[in-house]
Parts: sequence; structure tokens; C-alpha cells
Amino acid sequence: MKEIISSLKRTPYQSLTAFLVLFLTLFLSLILFVSLSFLNSGLSYLETRPQVTVYFQTKINESDIFKIRDQLNNSNKISSIKYISQKEAFNIYKDMNKDNPLLLEMVTSDILPSSLEIFAKKPEYLPEIAEYLKKQGGVDEVQFQKDIVDRLLTLTSILRKTGLIFFAYLIIMSIVVLTTTFLFKIALKKEEIELLRLIGASNSYIRAPYIKEGLFLGASASIVSFLILISIILYLNPFLKSYLAGITNLSLNLYITEIKIWPFNIEFFAMAFALSLVFGSTIALISSFIATNKYLKV
Amino acid sequence: MIKFDAVTKKYPLGNIALDNITFEIDDNEFVFLVGPSGAGKTSIIKLILREMTPTKGSIIIDDLDITEKKFDNVIKLRRDIGTIFQDFKILNDKNVFENIALGLKVIEKYDHNLKSKVKEILKLVGLSDKEKVFPVQLSTGELQRVAIGRAIIGDRKIILADEPTGNLDPKTSWEIIKIFKKLEGKKTIIIATHNTDIVNSLQKRVIVLKQGKIFKDHRTGGYEL
Repeated sequence: MKEIISSLKRTPYQSLTAFLVLFLTLFLSLILFVSLSFLNSGLSYLETRPQVTVYFQTKINESDIFKIRDQLNNSNKISSIKYISQKEAFNIYKDMNKDNPLLLEMVTSDILPSSLEIFAKKPEYLPEIAEYLKKQGGVDEVQFQKDIVDRLLTLTSILRKTGLIFFAYLIIMSIVVLTTTFLFKIALKKEEIELLRLIGASNSYIRAPYIKEGLFLGASASIVSFLILISIILYLNPFLKSYLAGITNLSLNLYITEIKIWPFNIEFFAMAFALSLVFGSTIALISSFIATNKYLKV
Repeated sequence: MIKFDAVTKKYPLGNIALDNITFEIDDNEFVFLVGPSGAGKTSIIKLILREMTPTKGSIIIDDLDITEKKFDNVIKLRRDIGTIFQDFKILNDKNVFENIALGLKVIEKYDHNLKSKVKEILKLVGLSDKEKVFPVQLSTGELQRVAIGRAIIGDRKIILADEPTGNLDPKTSWEIIKIFKKLEGKKTIIIATHNTDIVNSLQKRVIVLKQGKIFKDHRTGGYEL
């Protein structure tokens, strides 16, 4: 640690440059990661809501509704369908308006429509399902969250693609800038490296201080960027709470496990921090490795 | 044993540093390489250290041909050699103790004995009271002692010294030579110098070089340029 600190002090501007490059890269990557996590989990959340609701005219027979339901089930595009009868619709209505007796008095189950709540296997199937339903007889209204799902799908897709390009750019740019910065630092110690080689130091011995310094810079940049991100999130928390009111839970599916991201939980932030730490250290490690290579040909 | 067999070293611009020289140095032998500037003394040291390779001929150290293209154990070879460079190569941001300890640290074999081993060497080179002092505060003679300390620590078998008394006054030169005398018989010592007084008074083996050739090889010492 003493050696790392004295090396940082010896070349303060190069050290600051390396730190800032790492900090910006990690900070932007963290923001990207949190945004994508929220968008993905938002999309998953929407997928758990009834995606298409079709309301039938009150005069339609239940058997006709079941015929439509069966046809939809056979299309292979449906994940599940829930039938809400007029009676069940009335119960829901009663439950929603239990504090308002006047509204309850005015409504009977006869005037409420029966409906089907449809969940598609993929959001892309939704327009097709809605179009099919509109063409069926006895249908009063078809509601589906086309706009929201479409927008979220587009946004997630754009963010994923641009995120990937941006992420690759960040990595390449960071490695190039860091390698150059480390090269400047190492050039100042060219004579020392030359001496170490002549008195029998191994490549790993010569490389070790630069690798340690790179790891130190990577770790400190990831800690600082994480702390700033946490501060921003805490600042935005009241706004997010009102914006996401009604959404009780958002989770990120990681194939092997599922991590809750809303309301904010410590596991998600621990994962973000661990990723940033590994990412920052790896970039710094690669850069210092490339930079030292130049001076290690025996 | 160090064996030079018909070694020639030509530099890229065509000047010949060594011209077909052959000699052997036994284990623990004390040898002076003497000759005027440009005679090839430093080239011999650089070749032993494999800082460069000969244009022709071979160099065998402890039965290993270090001039072979396949030779890939340069680090191990250099760990057996302690070198005192003409320009000392002392690190200015490290104190005397740290500079000497470096000679042991690079071997990567040291353990908790590092401190006691460095102290032992500091005593041998007469710098016990200056272990915390930085190079800028040292005289040329003291810097030379630090360089010697770094070269001899870590049980290195061969000590190469390139003009170790080059910039020193006669009194300090003798003090430096006394350190080498203490190591006599324990290590192979090769000293490149043109200090005739020291060479003549020590009566050790002297290899005299002139224009890249061995001019004389006196087993019992003494020479005149």
C-alpha cells in the first residue's frame, strides 16, 4: 500500500487522469446497468398484467365467448386466458367501490359486460390478437396496452443496442487512455525497470507494482462511482416512489436467480457494486498489463 | 566456470568490440580485466550478463551455453550474477537499506531474514549508520558501496564490477577494493578497471585487453598499459 501511495504521489497528473477515466467509465456503466435493469423488469412486470382485455356485449351467450377463448388457446400465441363473467365483474366492481354505496346501488350485474383477460406469450403477438378479437361478433370493446408495451419494447431494444455499442466504446476508450497513461508512468521508471531486469527480476516481479496500482485505481474508481450513484438514487427516491406508485415489486430475471430491484433492495446494489468492482479492476489490469509488456522483453 | 570460446562482438556500425577472444575463469577466481577505454572490458561484462550476445563464438557459464538462441533462462543466469555498474544504477527514491534489499527481493527467495541479511551486508560495506539515508545525501564512494551491497546480497556466485573505482579518490578506492578482498575465495570476482596501482598491488590474475583482443593473461598479476 505504501508503494502504491508513493507511486501515485510521484505522478499525480497521470494518476488523476487514470482515475478520472476509470471513474467516468464505471459511473456511466453503472447508470446504464441500473437503467437497463429497470426497463427490463418494467417490461417483465407489464407482461404479468392482462395484456388484452376484450369486453363482450351483454346479450352474447357464454358459449360464444368460450368458442372465441378456445380458438385463441389453439393459436399457440396465448400464455393464459381468464374469463370474467358478469357476476364476477359485479363482485370486482363492488370490491372497488365498497366505500361508495351510491355507486353500488346504481349498478347491477346485468349491465356489466363479461370479459376475457388475455396474456400473450410474446408482446409482439398483441396487435394480432387485438385485431382478431375486433372482428368477432358480440365484441363491445377491445383494450390492450399497445402503446405502453410498444414504447417499452422499442426503448428497451434501443437502449440494449446503443448500450452495448456505448459499453464497447467505453471499454476500448478506457483501455487505450489508461494504457497510454500507464505508459507515461512506466516511461518515468524506465531506468529502474532496466536495472531490475539486469539484476534478475522476473517479469511478474517488475509488473507487480503497476498491476497493484491499476487494481487500486480500479477499485477506488468503482467505490467512488458507486457512492455517487447511490446518492443520486437516494435523492430521486421520493420521485420514483410517486412515479412507480401501485407497482409493488419489480424483479430482474437473471436466469439462475431473480433479484428484486424495486422497492430498492441491498442485493441489487451489492450486485451492481460487485460488477463495477470486477469491471473496473479488469480494465485497469488489462491496461497495466499491456503497458508493462513494452518494457519486459529480456 | 566461465568460458569464452573464440568470441567476437561486432556492433551494428561495424566497430569490433571483441575480436576472437578465448579465456576461462574458474569458480571463485579473482580476475582483473584491464585495458584502455574501448578495449572491450565492458563488452565482456555485458556478454556474461547476457545484456548482449556475441556475433561469433560461444560463452559457457556453469556448463550452460548462454549464447544459444534456445537459451531461455536469462532470469536465472542473472540471479547468479551480482553486477556493479559503471554508473551505479542506484534508485534515488529508495533509501540505502531499500536499495540493497532490492538485490535480494528480486530473487524472490527472501523471507523474514531480509532485514538481518541487509544489515549484515550494510556492515560488510561499512554503511550500517546510513541505512535510512537517500542516495542524494551520499558521496560517490558511499554510492559505490551501496551498489556493491546490492550486488553481493543473495549469495550470488559471480560478481561483475565495471570500473568500481573509476570516479573515486585513492583512499576510497582502496576501501572499495577491501570489500572485494573480503569476498575473495567465496565468489568468482571479475573487476574491469584501469587502476594500475590496485591491480599491481593485489597480484591477482590479470587479463589485459587491447583493441578487442587479449594482449596478455597474467596468472599472478601485475601489468602496465
